[in-house]
Amino acid sequence: METIKKQTILIVLMLFCFSVLSYAQAKRKANKDTEAWRYEIEAVQTGVQGTYLIKVWSYSKKPDVAIEQAKKNAVHGIIFRGFAGRQGVQGQQALTSNVSLEQEKADFFDSFFSNGGKYMKFVASTNDGAVAAEDRMKVGKEYKVGVIVSVNVAALRKDLEDAGIIKKLGAGF
Amino acid sequence: MKKTLRKIALTITIVLSLTVVAFSQAKKPTIMVVPSDVWCNTNGYMMEFDNQGTKVKLPDYKKALQENADLLLVISKINELMATRGFPLKNLESALKTLENNAAEDAMTTSKSGAELSESPVDKLKNVAKADIWIQMTWTVNTTGPMKSVTFNLQGLDAYTDKQIAGASGTGNQLLGAALPVMLETAVLSYLDNFNVQLQSHFDDLFANGREIILRIRKWDSFDGDLESQYGGEELGTQIEKWVSDNTVQNRFSTSDASENRMLFEQVRIPLYDANNKAVDARGWARGLQKYLKDTYKIDSKLTMKGLGQATLTVGEK
Repeated sequence: METIKKQTILIVLMLFCFSVLSYAQAKRKANKDTEAWRYEIEAVQTGVQGTYLIKVWSYSKKPDVAIEQAKKNAVHGIIFRGFAGRQGVQGQQALTSNVSLEQEKADFFDSFFSNGGKYMKFVASTNDGAVAAEDRMKVGKEYKVGVIVSVNVAALRKDLEDAGIIKKLGAGF
Repeated sequence: MKKTLRKIALTITIVLSLTVVAFSQAKKPTIMVVPSDVWCNTNGYMMEFDNQGTKVKLPDYKKALQENADLLLVISKINELMATRGFPLKNLESALKTLENNAAEDAMTTSKSGAELSESPVDKLKNVAKADIWIQMTWTVNTTGPMKSVTFNLQGLDAYTDKQIAGASGTGNQLLGAALPVMLETAVLSYLDNFNVQLQSHFDDLFANGREIILRIRKWDSFDGDLESQYGGEELGTQIEKWVSDNTVQNRFSTSDASENRMLFEQVRIPLYDANNKAVDARGWARGLQKYLKDTYKIDSKLTMKGLGQATLTVGEK
């Protein structure tokens, strides 16, 4: 009887560890995808003053990871990539035009985009992160999930300017 | 005693360093938002006057600002957003009021002996609202049945080179029953960031390749000679051209027009700082040419300016 108990506990523990490891691996993969720019951003609407309202499509084997990663991708995209507009909604250019900025300021961005890093201050998901059915797609072995987020671009820009990462408008005058 | 001397030396060093830092700031261009001529014409804010038989129409900014609340809203929104970016703009309405007040004050100002202020016709002509960069905006409301949308156009224009240095335009969503002020506010929020990206590129170019200015050379009819007269073995115009070439960033300029009476240099790239690390503008830079002509060829000249980017040198006398 005791042997069965021990075996059950062992199996539960193993399953738990496996699930934690698998989640961590999915998260690491998602972070690598962000670094490799593997996400898409589309305009949703003109945000309220100082914000952009965008939909971020992220990829992961676990939909939950994709939803969480969307916030990181959103901030990453606003800084380095910008996004195209659509009928009636204007696209926006990236906060930096320096294509090597991420490598040049790697120390700053490693900590900025670390899990629970400062990027969290500038992004909020709408609808409590709920994803519409048509925005969750299975593509091969992974999910492609579209999450609508609001990025506080005014605060983000100011933070990067104050940290000397990007130039202020008219710096040098 | 030694300690006191050291302290004094340290203080002098700090003061000198601060002075150098202060001088190392380039001259900041002023920017002002104005409605475009098209907008003023469409909305009936034009004034017409007779210029020697030809009817000339000019935008009446004062009337537009006094009568159109939407215009005030758009200007104020752009000013507000630019101020949050650390680049406050000159306000058109305030500039017009200051001009009026100054004109009234100048008219009343007399010295103790009763002398009035000197003002030439050119001074009067130049007494208008000035900016180095104009943000010209236009909007039109499109109506399709009950739906409305706003087409918005922002143009950043260099006042001296007449080049468009930034721009953003487009048409917003078609909306049912939306108020115009809300649509305009949305348009400003949508377009201003992209506009500023281009403005930033213009500033980056300015720091990398120098300020782009226009230099005009003219001659007084009292001048004994002209720009084709021989000075130092070459024509005066050629000597001037050589000086311009030697004193521009990477010798970048183009001679757009040259005759015995006048020359026009465009796309002249002048350095932002002189040899003493002091910020220079078109006038400061052209003063070098004025001094060169005086010292080398004993030619007097009159230097006039227009903002940071246009200088005119009239040779022959002051």
